[in-house]
Amino acid sequence: MIIAMSKVRILGPRERLPDVLRTLQDLSLLHLAPPEVTPGAPLDRASLGTSQQRERRHLQQVLADIDAGLDELHRRPAAASQPSARAAPADFVRWARVAWRVRREAERLRLQIVVLDEEKALILKYQQFFAAFRALLEAETHWPNATAYHVLVRGSDAGAIPKLRASLAAAIGADFEIYTQPLASGEIALLIVVAAPAARRVEQLLAQAQVQEIPVPAQYGGGGLAQAIPRMLERLGQIPAARDQALRRQQRLAREHGAELTRARGAVHDRLRELEAVPLTAVTPHAFVLEGWVPTRSRRTLADRLAAQYGDAVAVEEISIEEWESEQAPVVLSNPRLLRPFETLVGVFPLPRYGTIDPTPFVAVFFPAFFGIMVGDVGYGVVLALIGLAVHHWSRPTTLLRTVSEIIGPCALFTIIAGFLFGELFGDVGSRLGLKPLAFNRHEAMIPFLLLAVSLGVVHILLGMGLGIASTIRRHPREAMGRGVSMIMVILVILALLAAVKVLPRGFFTPAVIGLLVAFPALIVLEGVVAPIELLSTLGNILSYARIMALGVASVMLAVVANKMVGAIGSLAVGVLFALLFHLVNFAIALFSPTVHALRLHYVEFFGKFYSPGGVRYQPFGHWTPARPAA
Amino acid sequence: MDAVVITTLAAALAVAIPALATAWAQSRIGPAVAAALAEKPELNTTAILMIAIPETMVILGFVVAAAILFR
Repeated sequence: MIIAMSKVRILGPRERLPDVLRTLQDLSLLHLAPPEVTPGAPLDRASLGTSQQRERRHLQQVLADIDAGLDELHRRPAAASQPSARAAPADFVRWARVAWRVRREAERLRLQIVVLDEEKALILKYQQFFAAFRALLEAETHWPNATAYHVLVRGSDAGAIPKLRASLAAAIGADFEIYTQPLASGEIALLIVVAAPAARRVEQLLAQAQVQEIPVPAQYGGGGLAQAIPRMLERLGQIPAARDQALRRQQRLAREHGAELTRARGAVHDRLRELEAVPLTAVTPHAFVLEGWVPTRSRRTLADRLAAQYGDAVAVEEISIEEWESEQAPVVLSNPRLLRPFETLVGVFPLPRYGTIDPTPFVAVFFPAFFGIMVGDVGYGVVLALIGLAVHHWSRPTTLLRTVSEIIGPCALFTIIAGFLFGELFGDVGSRLGLKPLAFNRHEAMIPFLLLAVSLGVVHILLGMGLGIASTIRRHPREAMGRGVSMIMVILVILALLAAVKVLPRGFFTPAVIGLLVAFPALIVLEGVVAPIELLSTLGNILSYARIMALGVASVMLAVVANKMVGAIGSLAVGVLFALLFHLVNFAIALFSPTVHALRLHYVEFFGKFYSPGGVRYQPFGHWTPARPAA
Repeated sequence: MDAVVITTLAAALAVAIPALATAWAQSRIGPAVAAALAEKPELNTTAILMIAIPETMVILGFVVAAAILFR
């Protein structure tokens, strides 16, 4: 349900405004709304002074430093349930200094670790060459004043090496030598040592042949690969120690300042909220006015607390509902513990407007019921219940997984109940074991099942229309009357149809048709010319509930086919295996399809009749708390 | 032609034609939904519902087929 709100006005001497704001922040009850300021009235909208604006900019910078520093140190604070203690001005000065220093140091350390990781990755890229060229480097040292080229050739191009040798001989004569070494990757490492005067010509040849030399990283260069390799190996040995040292410094930084910065984050957010609340107040030269919404059940708490703290200096008055009825009051949903998980399903839509209806209790009843009737199998229900229990056991409170497990519970319960009604236990295994349907056998009695599905649709849609009337009757009585006529016409159409197919006595038919003819002009007058189309659409909505029967029959048919596998295949073991596999597939489908279609029946058919989205979330002015983890 | 054959054929067509229509509709919705999800992942529930909406055709086709077979 949507809890009742009261709009209150708080008045007091202007110099007490900061104190009152702090008290309200501690209470965390009032959803602030800027008071209406009419031209010519002595009331002005309050604004931040120059020093407050400067303080806000400064705090935003401090907050950016804190967030960046904590992120660098991988310190993500858990959702705090307690508001942070109010900080002194000296604390903010210290935190600004610490946050800036920690951020700078943490960024430097992270950069250092990244550079070390990149350097290590670079050296490791060369590692396979080290082994290959180490054997060849001996040869390089035998050629003083020579130039060496280090080249990799694909194994499949090994035939090109004699050609290269021939080309070099033709170009520069005998002033070169080629050494080869096969690599584990299948490539061949080539060391080409050339007398210095011929180097230029060799480079041209290599360029023409598009042969690329293995580049030596600049930081280890200055003497070719022969000189670079020992330097790179030495550096590779030093990197882990340097990285560990940087990590230790990072951890020490987190240990020394993490907790303090986490506290600072809360306090800075709180102070910023306090500053941002100032423009939501109105002031005269000597007084302030604050307005906002508070849950009606908490109004007394708010008034008592302010009275206890400020006595007669601050007054709290309730604004009568007539004055704010047309305004957007904030919305907070409050449902019993068992129904609360279903708020997640309603939460897919924007919040309902204040003064309309929260559909959560209806979703909590009809969603599991539709799901259960579609799956309708004791065996599947038990398996689903076990899955729900497992998910509940392994999930943390307040996470999405925990909510899902709490929705699975009622769904499993309704599935088991429907399973007994239809006499199904893993398809027709139940009937083979003597389980009798309490209602009817879905496998055979499709028409009764169809009638059940459409009847559920009638109940659900009429309930939706009734809720639509209830949610509009106070603010828009004419619209509510139109909806009422529409609802009566739907009932009359159903009565006429039932009388026509002799489910009801024939005597119902004529009065129902006369009633329709009388109601039709009233509908046009109240709802306009599109009303008949909407009426037809409502009848289509009712027929849409036939999907409950269709999915239910598909589910039982697949289960029966799965059971037939046992006898259909020669080997009993293989047959059982196939049957289990089929049941697994059917169960997976049973989890997905009925969920989607039960949701669709709610979102499209049911909500369309009364749901009025666009509510403003109730956000009381209070202490900042970090966002909760998603799962 | 035998009445049973005609009835069975009618029931088969009652499912088959809406099934083809559903498949065509979903083939058009699928890429659009995928594109929308790439930009706004928070629309996932709406996306699933959009995919499920054309299934109404085949479900109603199935109901008609059942009515033909079990009349």
